[in-house]
Amino acid sequence: MPETMSDTTPTRGYTDDQKYQIFNKEFMPHIDSMYNFAFRLTMDEDDANDLVQDTYLKAFRFISSFEQGTNAKAWLFRILKNSFINDYRKKSKEPAKVDYQDVETTYNSEDSETEHTVDLRAETVSDLIGDEVATALNSLPVDFRTVIILCDIEGFTYEEMAKILDIPIGTVRSRLHRARNLLKEKLRDYAASMGYNENIDD
Amino acid sequence: MQTSLPKSPSEVPRSMKHTCEHQSDCLKFIQMVLDGAATEKDLDQLQRNLESCQPCIEMYHLEKEVKALLQNRMEKRCCPEQLIESIRTRIATFS
Ligand SMILES: [Zn+2]
Repeated sequence: MPETMSDTTPTRGYTDDQKYQIFNKEFMPHIDSMYNFAFRLTMDEDDANDLVQDTYLKAFRFISSFEQGTNAKAWLFRILKNSFINDYRKKSKEPAKVDYQDVETTYNSEDSETEHTVDLRAETVSDLIGDEVATALNSLPVDFRTVIILCDIEGFTYEEMAKILDIPIGTVRSRLHRARNLLKEKLRDYAASMGYNENIDD
Repeated sequence: MQTSLPKSPSEVPRSMKHTCEHQSDCLKFIQMVLDGAATEKDLDQLQRNLESCQPCIEMYHLEKEVKALLQNRMEKRCCPEQLIESIRTRIATFS
């Protein structure tokens, strides 16, 4: 039993025809979003291909735990995220989970109230192009990258993100907050190295 | 004479704050508003901040710009046709 299906959703007795219909009408329309999510997580085309294929095969195999008409996109993203953690993350060069938790604990502590704001201007950001943002985003630890992808790129609500990531909404909010600060730091450093903000007056 | 002149639109209102004592909280709040997770009351509060707090105005524009950048300027790939075919073939042999 894969961990992706740990929900206590009752099993539904779909006929084979119904299964294919759900698969084609509710799952396949999300394949481009799924592919982009997989590519942004793995940063590798072959891994993204494998991850998306694994996810769709799992989705079909466990289709009886999907309730027709509910949020298929969030359901699929959750399976993909869990497959990524279980099968792909181990072999990637990402910092180990424990390092990341350290980071998050630090940032969520009382001290975070005194956090600095990132010295970056809206006008500087509007000069950046997609490739530059992608580079900055890719340089974030994967858990921080993930919340930004889900929220800002895919437009999931906090509640949907909590379900996809299996974390409380409060953690979604604080992780997102911290991820955005890190992203802004990267963008600021990048902009500074490109001389985008030479006329900053301080 | 000069004192009675009306303020030019670009002039900062007398009540405008230049330091925000709750910057970290304001930032969290601004993000919730931009993420569509704020209540009507939150929106009213933000409106008041944006009328009176210069750091909040700047943070708001920055957050909005970063979010727009992520939403609109990131490359979006299409799933390779070959992968779609492969998935369909595998699924067809399942039942
Ligand atoms: Zn403020």
